Amino acid sequence: MAKRTPDPAVTGIVAAQPRQHSMVWLQGLLCGAMAMLAPPTALLMGVLLGPAVLALLLDRQPGRPKARSVALLGMAASVDPLHSLWVSGHSMSGAAALLGNLHVLGTAWAAAAAGWLLAEVAPVVVRATLEALSISRTAQLRALCTRLAEEWGLDPPGGEQ
Amino acid sequence: MANPAPPRPGVALIADRYAVEVGRPLPAVGGLAAFAAVDQSTGRTDLMAIQVQRHLPPRPRALQALSVPIDGLLTPLAHGITAAQPGSAEEACYVICLAPPGPSLLARPRPWPEAELLECVLRPAALVLEQMQARGVTHRGIRLDNVFQPRPGQPVVLGSAWAAPPGVGQPALFEPPYSAMCLPAGRGDGSIADDVYSLGVLLLCLGLGHAPLAQLDDAAILRRKLELGTYAALLGDQRLPPVVGDLVRGMLAEDPEHRPPPSLLLDPASARGRRVAARPPRRSQRAMPMAAAEIWDARSLAHAMAVEPETGVHALRSGAVVLWLRRGVGDALLAARLEDLVRHRVLDSLPDDAPGDAALVMRAIALLDPLAPLCWRGLALWPDGIGAALAAARATDPDASARLQEVVALELAGNWAAMRPERCDFAELRVQARQQHAWLQLRGAGGGEARLCYLLNPLMPCSSELMGGHWVTRLPELLQALEDAAGRVDRKQVRPVDTHIATFIAARSERRLDSELVALAGGGPDDAAWLAQIRILAELQTRHRAQALPGLAAWLAEQAGPALVTWRNRDSRASITERLQALAQVGYLAPMLALVDDPAGHDADAREAQVAAVELGRIDAELAQIAAGASSRASVANRLGQEIAAGIGLATLATVLVVAALS
Repeated sequence: MAKRTPDPAVTGIVAAQPRQHSMVWLQGLLCGAMAMLAPPTALLMGVLLGPAVLALLLDRQPGRPKARSVALLGMAASVDPLHSLWVSGHSMSGAAALLGNLHVLGTAWAAAAAGWLLAEVAPVVVRATLEALSISRTAQLRALCTRLAEEWGLDPPGGEQ
Repeated sequence: MANPAPPRPGVALIADRYAVEVGRPLPAVGGLAAFAAVDQSTGRTDLMAIQVQRHLPPRPRALQALSVPIDGLLTPLAHGITAAQPGSAEEACYVICLAPPGPSLLARPRPWPEAELLECVLRPAALVLEQMQARGVTHRGIRLDNVFQPRPGQPVVLGSAWAAPPGVGQPALFEPPYSAMCLPAGRGDGSIADDVYSLGVLLLCLGLGHAPLAQLDDAAILRRKLELGTYAALLGDQRLPPVVGDLVRGMLAEDPEHRPPPSLLLDPASARGRRVAARPPRRSQRAMPMAAAEIWDARSLAHAMAVEPETGVHALRSGAVVLWLRRGVGDALLAARLEDLVRHRVLDSLPDDAPGDAALVMRAIALLDPLAPLCWRGLALWPDGIGAALAAARATDPDASARLQEVVALELAGNWAAMRPERCDFAELRVQARQQHAWLQLRGAGGGEARLCYLLNPLMPCSSELMGGHWVTRLPELLQALEDAAGRVDRKQVRPVDTHIATFIAARSERRLDSELVALAGGGPDDAAWLAQIRILAELQTRHRAQALPGLAAWLAEQAGPALVTWRNRDSRASITERLQALAQVGYLAPMLALVDDPAGHDADAREAQVAAVELGRIDAELAQIAAGASSRASVANRLGQEIAAGIGLATLATVLVVAALS
């Protein structure tokens, strides 16, 4: 039976998978280490950054831009509760109390939602801005074109009759 | 001396002094209308204005040579153009000369006594002819109705013959047969011997008391003269006084060289004693039928062949002519020469070579009768009359015009002269024929038959319809005629320099304008044609220091569109158009030409147009790039939006961390 030559494109994709897996394992290792060394912190961060973890799982785009935005804003909202946990003695009961506070949880998850929304809206706004600039430039060029054609008796470009 | 007559307002004077009284017609002169004329500077009223016909131009050489008067001759005093009718825009050309001092000799229908013939007719007329010969001109209008006598017993006065081509008004009776057989306008200036001949006929008529052969038409008179000789043909069995008879016999000799010169006629006794032994023509023993007549001698045969060239070709090719000459006439030498001519023609000829056959007939006639004029396909003319013949034929006989053009195109005058070199200046005729051929060969505006016609007839008016009623013989008059035409024509449709005018200008100007005329004739772009027109007219206006011509300038400005379009820049074009209109109102063409025909400005305009075209291409490419860049813009927007979101997230995190650290 003849040996099949591997497709380079397929091998490229296959080669990329181990790196992703290694990052996941590294992240898992860090999370496991934190859970072993600081369980209250791990509990609090795990709950508050739950949407970010979910976004990391759902976002399949290269670089996970949405998950990145969700995580950053989620982390920003988690700084204050984490500070409170550490100031209040860094205990599991303190972590549970904080998680029981709807204001803390709502703020963190709302920040995560804002991060997702920002990641969705920002490209749209940028695209709209670029299109507006293009339309403006096109109008400007067409006006210049018409003026030149009339002034010099030249044939206007196609579609500009 | 009479007081000067008050100048009449609104009537243009000829030579600034002669007024034509068109309301006082005089008897016609040689078929031309004549009117009384007044010298406004002296008040002299015994003048006559002879109206020139457009297709029969006057004789410039005679008008110039006779500017100093000759006693006994109605010499031309001036010639020029004035209104055909008072207050009319129609112009006419007149030749001013003295009015006849009395009735013409037609008014005395009785035989004149010999002494009066000699003293009142022969001597004064011979004196006039002698002076004309000294000035190098001929009269060519001596006939009963053009010779005048103030009172019985006084010397006669020769009438005017300057307002039309030489001999054009002469009946066949008064013309030598070799002139009478020509086209009326193609008789040429001839020689003073032709005037001696006419004077001889005049003496004969006066001696007899009537004009002979009055019952015959010109063709019959001509045939009779050729057959019998003029003297015998006209006199028949009538008798003249002995001295006059002897003189007239010499004056009517068929060969011009055998006629007594005018100086000899001043002494009738000497002239009478002069005998020239002219060999009588050989008469055949049997007649040869041709041209509905019986031919008895070579001279009549030549004339018959000239009248019916097709019959002549047939007779030549069949050998009948050679046989008749050899056996009937007994002229073996002439027969051998003619046979040689026909043999060469038969060897060289192609089937249906009509010009070749006509050339054979022409050469055969020249051999048969060396005194005969150039005969070509039924036409006869003397080479010096071809200009006037062309002018007349163009207006009245297109067929004759075409045949005359053949005469020029084939340089027949040179070929004809080569057959009879002892009778003419062969070299000069050949050079003239080549020159005329060259003029005829020029095609388009400024060439061809029209140019030939204008060149050979310096006083022939321009025949363009744009001239309206103007009589334009010189270039300065042309500009004024065009100025008037500008008010009549559709300026958008009609060009100021049409083909006739271009030809006229080419003929009347130096070669400096030839390049412009070529551009005008070349059928090139309209802008080149317009530029050629304005260059020509501006040159004429400058050269002749013509006054302002606002009408013509406006006409040219209205047709300037094609030339203005060559300016690419719209603003420049608008500016030039505006300035052109302003210059047109002033009426000088040279500044208009300089404005439109500006090479430096055109170069700059072309360069800037090229830059604009490049810029337009760049814009076009950029527009295409924008149109095709939607997907790339979406990609960029997506990436940039995500980066912005990440940046905001990082900034927020950093701010919160800093606040937490500080609190």
